[in-house]
Amino acid sequence: MRQRPPIPFLLTLVTALALAACGPSDDSATPDNGDATGEPVTLSVIMEEVPDTDIVLDLVEDFEAEYENITLEVEALPFDQMRDRIITSSLAPDPTYDIVVVDNPWMVDFANGGYLLELDAYIEGTEGYDYEDFAEPLRDIGVVDGTTFGVPLYNYALSLIYRSDIIDEAPADIEDYRQLVADISSEGEVTGLAMQPQRGYKIFEEWANWLYAYGGSLTDDSGNVTLDSPEAREALEAYIETYETAAPADSLSWGFDEALRAVAGGEAASMISYNWMLPTLNNPEGDAGDLAGSFAVAEVPGGKAALGSWSWAIAGNSENPDEAWEFISWLTSPEIDKQRVIAGGAPTRMSVLADEEVWSEGYGQDYYETVAAILEDAEPLASGPNAEEVIEIVGTHLNAAIAGEETVDEAISRAAAEAEEAFARTSEG
Amino acid sequence: MKAGEQGLKQTVTGAPERLGRLLVMPLLAILGAVLIYPVLFTARVSVQDYRLNALDQVEFIGTEHYASLITNATFINALRNTAVFVVTAVTLELILGLALALAVQRLGPTRDGVRSILLMPMFVTPIAVGLIFRFLLNQQLGLIPPLLDLFGFRIDFFGPDLALLSLALIDVWQWTPLMFLMMLAGLESLPKAPFEAARVDGASTWFTFRRVTLPLLRPAIIIAVVIRMLDALRVFEYVFAITRGGPGQTTDTIQYLIYRVGFQFFRLGEASAMAYVLVAFVLVLVAVLIWLTRKGESA
Repeated sequence: MRQRPPIPFLLTLVTALALAACGPSDDSATPDNGDATGEPVTLSVIMEEVPDTDIVLDLVEDFEAEYENITLEVEALPFDQMRDRIITSSLAPDPTYDIVVVDNPWMVDFANGGYLLELDAYIEGTEGYDYEDFAEPLRDIGVVDGTTFGVPLYNYALSLIYRSDIIDEAPADIEDYRQLVADISSEGEVTGLAMQPQRGYKIFEEWANWLYAYGGSLTDDSGNVTLDSPEAREALEAYIETYETAAPADSLSWGFDEALRAVAGGEAASMISYNWMLPTLNNPEGDAGDLAGSFAVAEVPGGKAALGSWSWAIAGNSENPDEAWEFISWLTSPEIDKQRVIAGGAPTRMSVLADEEVWSEGYGQDYYETVAAILEDAEPLASGPNAEEVIEIVGTHLNAAIAGEETVDEAISRAAAEAEEAFARTSEG
Repeated sequence: MKAGEQGLKQTVTGAPERLGRLLVMPLLAILGAVLIYPVLFTARVSVQDYRLNALDQVEFIGTEHYASLITNATFINALRNTAVFVVTAVTLELILGLALALAVQRLGPTRDGVRSILLMPMFVTPIAVGLIFRFLLNQQLGLIPPLLDLFGFRIDFFGPDLALLSLALIDVWQWTPLMFLMMLAGLESLPKAPFEAARVDGASTWFTFRRVTLPLLRPAIIIAVVIRMLDALRVFEYVFAITRGGPGQTTDTIQYLIYRVGFQFFRLGEASAMAYVLVAFVLVLVAVLIWLTRKGESA
């Protein structure tokens, strides 16, 4: 009997191999308008879809004009998609991204996972970079176990945003603030504040400011969980009472979007939110319409703010790390960073915050001095291994306490115990 | 002669068979690459301490993940929430879909137009539906609560008591049209004779529906319920867009939990074990429903 050639199986094999070979192409081989300064290189960058990214995009043209051999392809994505994309690219043999922006809770996990390149040598080797000029809390976020993996892109430290036509002077004390917003709400025209008690990240980001105001903390300097404390219980009780007496009714699932709309729409007199929301709200062409110009910013009541920050980092598997650093160091250099902030970017360098040209061309001296004060006393939401999970855990129990599913005592003790477990998990492995 | 005929027959029937096998191979290769490989990979990962941020420390740990799920309160809560969501949504969709199908079947020339309009919610992407309802049902910023206020109703749609039901109702809004379509197709394919016989015998409308329509429609109903259940089990978008599993853990569903554990918290091994437990539940459910169909056919 004649042996038939196994054509179907060969075909299967060829198709499977073809599919397996489908992957991102090597962009570095793409020809472009290179010059004599070096091999043409295309850098792929992932960023978030936010106003600060638009400002960076406007500066990219200047960079490409100066560095003719380097072309940037920036992909701006909604926040919820970014982390998954960065992880996928970092695990791939052929990476999608050369430059990634990293949110502060991700930093330790990304660094430990080998997703990011060490930057210390680059920073030291860059003349005139003045790394120490970045606000210290922002710098610290990019450092993991003594090694620098990220340099600040922009800050999103929390502040008190309020209507200056309703609130004469922002209260510096949390109890005064609680009384004030309760009074405004009881008058009935607007609510005193719009809160963001949505389960997970949002509630923890907001409540952390209350926690600090009552003298509590999530961890101590050595990273031990210190959440199970009388201060934390007091902060949660106060938060719940204010939610029940002063916040918009039935707003338990509210996140950033709802709170912003309530404030921009004139329904609420204040919110604890990112300091750079002020220019957005005061923009006459923005969401606030006729109310633009009536918003002001102050430090959060209590003075110590929860700090968020995005950092620039180079993907650990990038084939073009030198060119990636060329771009990052150019954009975050004192000179270009000043241009970025004048254009509306959220500040990171202390020299830029104190620059009179920035004051006059930007949003005025008061704004930058307030931001400088906020950055001086701000602490990241959570840092350490599995920080993202810790934020979710604490945020779930806080939300359950407001919903009445857990008592304040249960919520705090469970959140602390589970946070401790999550922080410990990676270090064991 | 006889042998020649047989040879000819073999050639005629053999060639298309070979060609058929040949043509199906690319499809099998694609399925192998995109379906079978991930299924096997997930099975392997579920018995390993597989964490995306510690890939150099992957170890075989046997059934540890599966054993830990038995006492994992979050997992059990998510399974329970998902079950409540699926049963509520699919039951309401079946009742409404069948009622709409019966009504539309009797329509005259307007039937096609009505059918097209009824199908519209199905064509909106679920994440957009989630975002639309997040704001429509918002007490301060939404359209629906002020309307309810006019009639003296005040409902906290995303409060701890109603959030899961609200998500199920959003699913009903979006997917009743599919149920309606499947029911209408089922009704239109039914034989006319039993209905005529019932009419001749003077059976009432309700009696005809209960004793003729429903038994005849049984296979179509079971298939439609299986399809919708499998789909509803995957609920993710509404949770992600609206509640993020809250208040507390009241809307934590299994897919949202698997996503969080696997991708947000990097523990792909544990998430894979959860996925396999879910698959086991689904297989049992589908087997029971298919058994019910067969039982109905043989009865």
